[in-house]
Amino acid sequence: MTLKTIPLRAFGSRVTLQELVASPTPVLTLERRADGRLWAANGGEPKPVTAHRCFPWSAPTQFVSLRSDDGTEIGLVQDVNTLSPTMRAALMDELAVAGFVLSIQRVLDIDEEIEVRTWRVITTQGPRTLQTGRDEWPRELPGGGIVVKDVAGDLYHVGNVSLLDTKSRKLLWALVD
Amino acid sequence: MSAKHLELDRKVIDRYTDQPSIMPMEVRRFIEDSWGGMPVQLYACADLDESMSLCERWVAVGPEHVGVAWQSADSRWKVRTFPRVLVRQVHEIPGLSCTVVAIRGTPGAPPLATLRYTQRQRRAMEAVMFLIREGETVDLHPDGSVAADVEYARHVAGPIKEAQAMVAANDVAVLRRLLGYLKPYRSRVAIGMTAAAFVTALSLVPPYLAGFLIDRVIRPVQDGGASADAVATLAWVAVGAMAVVMVIRQLAGWIRLRLMSFLGEYVARDLRSELYEHLQRLSLSFYSRKKTGSLITRVSSDTDRLWEFLALGVVDVSLAVVMLIGLGTVLISLDWRLGLLMTIPVPFLCLLIFLHGRRMARLFTRAWRKWSRLNDVLSDTIPGMRVVKAFNQETREKARFNERNADATRNFTSIHRAWTAFWPSLMFVIHSMTVLVWVFAVPRLIGADGQAPVLSAGTFVSFLLYMTMFIAPVEIVGQMARVVNRATTSAHRIFEVLDTEPEIVDVAEPVQLHPLQGRVTFDNVTFSYDGIRSVLHNVSFDVQPGEMIGLVGPSGGGKTTIASLLARFYDPKAGAVLVDGVDLRRVDTGHYRKQVGMVLQDPHLFHGTILENIRYGVPDAEVERIIEAAKAANAHDFVCRLPHGYDTMVGERGQNLSGGERQRISIARAILSDPRILILDEATSSVDTETEARIQEAMDRLIARRTVFAIAHRLSTLRRASRLFVIESGRITECGTHAELLANPKSMYRRLYSMQQEIQHAV
Repeated sequence: MTLKTIPLRAFGSRVTLQELVASPTPVLTLERRADGRLWAANGGEPKPVTAHRCFPWSAPTQFVSLRSDDGTEIGLVQDVNTLSPTMRAALMDELAVAGFVLSIQRVLDIDEEIEVRTWRVITTQGPRTLQTGRDEWPRELPGGGIVVKDVAGDLYHVGNVSLLDTKSRKLLWALVD
Repeated sequence: MSAKHLELDRKVIDRYTDQPSIMPMEVRRFIEDSWGGMPVQLYACADLDESMSLCERWVAVGPEHVGVAWQSADSRWKVRTFPRVLVRQVHEIPGLSCTVVAIRGTPGAPPLATLRYTQRQRRAMEAVMFLIREGETVDLHPDGSVAADVEYARHVAGPIKEAQAMVAANDVAVLRRLLGYLKPYRSRVAIGMTAAAFVTALSLVPPYLAGFLIDRVIRPVQDGGASADAVATLAWVAVGAMAVVMVIRQLAGWIRLRLMSFLGEYVARDLRSELYEHLQRLSLSFYSRKKTGSLITRVSSDTDRLWEFLALGVVDVSLAVVMLIGLGTVLISLDWRLGLLMTIPVPFLCLLIFLHGRRMARLFTRAWRKWSRLNDVLSDTIPGMRVVKAFNQETREKARFNERNADATRNFTSIHRAWTAFWPSLMFVIHSMTVLVWVFAVPRLIGADGQAPVLSAGTFVSFLLYMTMFIAPVEIVGQMARVVNRATTSAHRIFEVLDTEPEIVDVAEPVQLHPLQGRVTFDNVTFSYDGIRSVLHNVSFDVQPGEMIGLVGPSGGGKTTIASLLARFYDPKAGAVLVDGVDLRRVDTGHYRKQVGMVLQDPHLFHGTILENIRYGVPDAEVERIIEAAKAANAHDFVCRLPHGYDTMVGERGQNLSGGERQRISIARAILSDPRILILDEATSSVDTETEARIQEAMDRLIARRTVFAIAHRLSTLRRASRLFVIESGRITECGTHAELLANPKSMYRRLYSMQQEIQHAV
């Protein structure tokens, strides 16, 4: 996936969006230190960073923004797979936590009350009971699958609804396509 | 109070989540033992382990320690504790569903503890982390032992309780309480119920009379066994009786419908008034917890739904049950074999209708979702039509709409397919039962194997007529669960509000400040909205009558909270707010608020005329004084230019006034009520420079001779202030006149002021 070139006609010349936002890309280094944090340097002093996926659903391994604690972008990793194995492992560890969502394997029951819908589900992480608003629907993700957001803000992901068991699919029928 | 809340919150957690509703006693004792007996002050659950699986770990804070408890593989509890003095930093990294918090000691070294938790634990965990970080400023409950449980349960149950009012309720108790509202109308209920019972009983009579006529009149005559003249009287008596029964039945039916619908309306009215009166009594903190829309529907739709239940539901359901029992008894007593044949399938029919209702609910949910997808396109594109046109995306939007429209229609047709198939099928079953009854009845009517007929034609006709009466009550009983469920839900939503106690209550013999001088003192005031994070820390100041105080500083610093405490929308958690030397908790709130005026950033005008809006605080003000106030507020000129003048309708569905115009009307409102203390909350922040000048002029007239607290972002509007308070993170960091603060080269005020000056010069 590459950034689309958006033509901006300035006095007859074509300026690409990449040129507008271009930043020199010095050598990016990533390491996990003893304090348990991911440290990144991009030409300057190493700083502890947090990783933010730009496209968590449509392109999870591309465009990962590394930000220091004050929110400044230290670097933008275009493709995680182009990193060295140790750096990739360090970054993937960070992403596994930052991008963590519960993953539904089985739906046991969906019970409707006046304003909430109570779900009993089995997730990869363990059994869980959750509530969603009656007028809140699972979100269909750009990369396929659905994600359910409960009243506390937790996200529950189903990669492929059609691969669930019959009962789960039947329970989900009214809520997803 | 907190014990009652704890009980409800624990019920909510038990019913809606899979985590303990409080820290298990065993764990708590274990932690406290490891601390040498010191108590747990606050705790939270960390529900994810290193491998990101759901688990149950506890983090607790005490006066001197932090402890983390977890279960080892042999399910024994382990605890690791460290002294709070070691903690240098608490660092949270929020993710999509998992937040990681690291409690750090020595920089660079591995953290003292790392906890991972889902969003569900977020509020409780934030409170714990806050206590670890800024321990000394937290004002803990006096009852320390329960406090930790109360806080934990409140935080975990919070999101669920905010999403749904009816949590962990006992339906029977709610229903009984709802029926209690019928008490004042006891006699009407008795008459209505009697009439309804009468209708039910009387409807059993005509079929009996029909059978009687056939057996005692028609057949004897047609068989030649009796002369027409002899039985004519009997026949006409029976027909007459039938007519009388019909008339009485209709009459009783009319009485019942009328009485009960009036009654339902009365009860709904009583509930609405009680609810609205209660809403007016409730403190503002209640309104910040609940969505306005949800409160409006409680007063309007929920009470209306209860009308339906009280007027029709209660009677219909109870009588349908009586009717089914009555019919069954009559049928079995007429002919027990045929009777049983008819009555045994009835429970199954009720069940079928119940199941059908459930299936329809699923279909409706799906169709409703499709419908809201369709509505999304509309609410997206119609307000955003300029963007659609600017980017020339009409074709795409049309396609998007048509796709969703077709999808919604598909789902609605499946609803129609379901119900149109169900009811004829149900009728088919009922008619099959009728046929079956005939099959069994024919041999007995005509006599088989040379035996005489055992079933008379009349009895059988009665029987057939009774059978037709089964359908309606079966339908009602099948839908009973839904009707009762809807009613209890609505009732619960209403009772929840009624059961909320206002937090601001006057003392038994409140002081009336009359006349109010306007001296305002904050004496070591600490305040927090959630009981944990303090918004104000030990704020103290003394303001003389007639002073104008400018409150400046970054947003979220606590400026508006000071204003709210001054208006007694809330009471301080510690310290006191004194007016003329009297603690506000001791004054008559209503009388006091009459002497406090507020002009807010986005003034609210009520639906009504400009005249009514200006005299909202003083309903009997003379017109001359209103015009004076409007002139002083620089509103008179623009009001006169409106075609309807002061009679112009404003507010919802009224004339659109600009922000500056509404602001000037609200200033006129404040001038007219002539308050001793005036609060201006960013009153000029949303208007252009010219309007601002006019408002400023009006404001200058308004503030004369009053104690004024003005919150402003544009510091130029505070040039008249006698003193300025700079409020940062809940504390007064700078205090002095404009000149004094500017003279201090390090002052925050100076920095803000020069920044604003630069912007103005740039423009």
